[in-house]
Amino acid sequence: MTPEVPSVLFELSQLLMRNAAPDVPDGERASALGLSAMLLGLAAETWDGAAHNLVVENRALRELLDLAGEDGDLHLAALKAENDRLRARLIAAQVAAEAAGDVARQDAIWAELLASTERRRISVSLV
Amino acid sequence: MDGEVTHPLEPQLAAYIATRMPGAAEIAIDSLERISGGASRETYRFRLIWREDGRTRERKLILRRDPPASLIDTERRVEFEAYRAFAGSAVPVPEMLWLEEGSEALGHPFFIAEELTGFQAAPQMLFAGGYEAVLQIVAERKWTILGEIARADPIALRLDKWMPTPTLDGCWSRELAHWEGILDRDEAEPLPIARAAIRWLKANPPPPAQKLSVVHGDYRTGNFLYDQAGDIHGVLDWEMAHLGDPLEDLGWGFNPVWQFGRGLEGGLVPRAQATAIWERASGLKADPAALHWWILFNCVKGQAIWVGSARAFIDGGNREPIMIYPAWWLLNAQDRAILKVMGRP
Repeated sequence: MTPEVPSVLFELSQLLMRNAAPDVPDGERASALGLSAMLLGLAAETWDGAAHNLVVENRALRELLDLAGEDGDLHLAALKAENDRLRARLIAAQVAAEAAGDVARQDAIWAELLASTERRRISVSLV
Repeated sequence: MDGEVTHPLEPQLAAYIATRMPGAAEIAIDSLERISGGASRETYRFRLIWREDGRTRERKLILRRDPPASLIDTERRVEFEAYRAFAGSAVPVPEMLWLEEGSEALGHPFFIAEELTGFQAAPQMLFAGGYEAVLQIVAERKWTILGEIARADPIALRLDKWMPTPTLDGCWSRELAHWEGILDRDEAEPLPIARAAIRWLKANPPPPAQKLSVVHGDYRTGNFLYDQAGDIHGVLDWEMAHLGDPLEDLGWGFNPVWQFGRGLEGGLVPRAQATAIWERASGLKADPAALHWWILFNCVKGQAIWVGSARAFIDGGNREPIMIYPAWWLLNAQDRAILKVMGRP
């Protein structure tokens, strides 16, 4: 998820500290804590599958783009950086397929894009 | 805790209002609190108390102040004038009182307006079950009011003084260029689905606008005040108001994310019904192909806004949780909406 979960969790920790102070107006404290709770819930929901989904997606993108390689560094930041690199390549591949009128190639790319939204789908998704 | 904590803004606000109400004495502010949900402006409600003509008076007011970094960067003057343009019309809006474009009084530009009290805005409450019997009435009012906005003459309202006036055939390209530019500026990661949508939009432009209209820019369930009978008493959040194609507003409301998972436009009624209400009120036609273009455009616009909220957080300009939630909640949902609108489900 963007922004990255670790930076959000750090910010929420600071926010909770600030809201522990007695001089925060009740309404503002309630708002901050309510939003923090929702964000913590989303972070908890995505935490376990985050690395798995990125590895699966990076593998699918390499196959689609006919690229060699494997994810060696399993830190989320490294997996996400590789995912960004591959998705940038995917945009270029889709532009090329559109220019060439290669419908089969376009369909394969659209299928992967649809799959990518399934991997990223959260329980409270509106669509 | 009531009465024990004075918000630091209260004395500054009282001092400012004293300069705008020379006939008033003993001006005081109380019960000032920030309202959750305002990601593009900091929104506060407060009670103004003063003495005038030998009597003590009070009024409930709203303060909308620019944050350090915003989900949507707009001129507060545009929002203020859009509200004022529709005062006393068939489009219900709160009364605007004072606009301050400098940063001296409260640290950032702001405006102060009447608070419309006793109503609800939250979609979650509207769809929680208690309003089921009046959702048709809400829908009738919602798209009738939007039709009235579309029908209004922006030149007669003198909004061309504050907002650029595009040509009828230039409305779409101006808006698309603007929001593509926001994506270019703010994206923190590649967005293949949004980029594919932009390419399609450029390759399949809509016909020229039927007329130049005021475009609210964020007209959706959640940005109007409703009551238990289903009537609408205030249209809020005009910060993205501009002049353009009237179908743009209809298309924003038909962005699938605003169905709130209910399979109905705005969570209220089927598209055909909403469109018929709008056509009747506006006197305009919603050509299906043109409307489709504007719905997809609005999916891209939505994505640019959610990306912008993530950017404001990442860059440190605004680290409040309200900047994170739209990105986490809506970035992927908006991609799914684009796929749906493009027929790629």
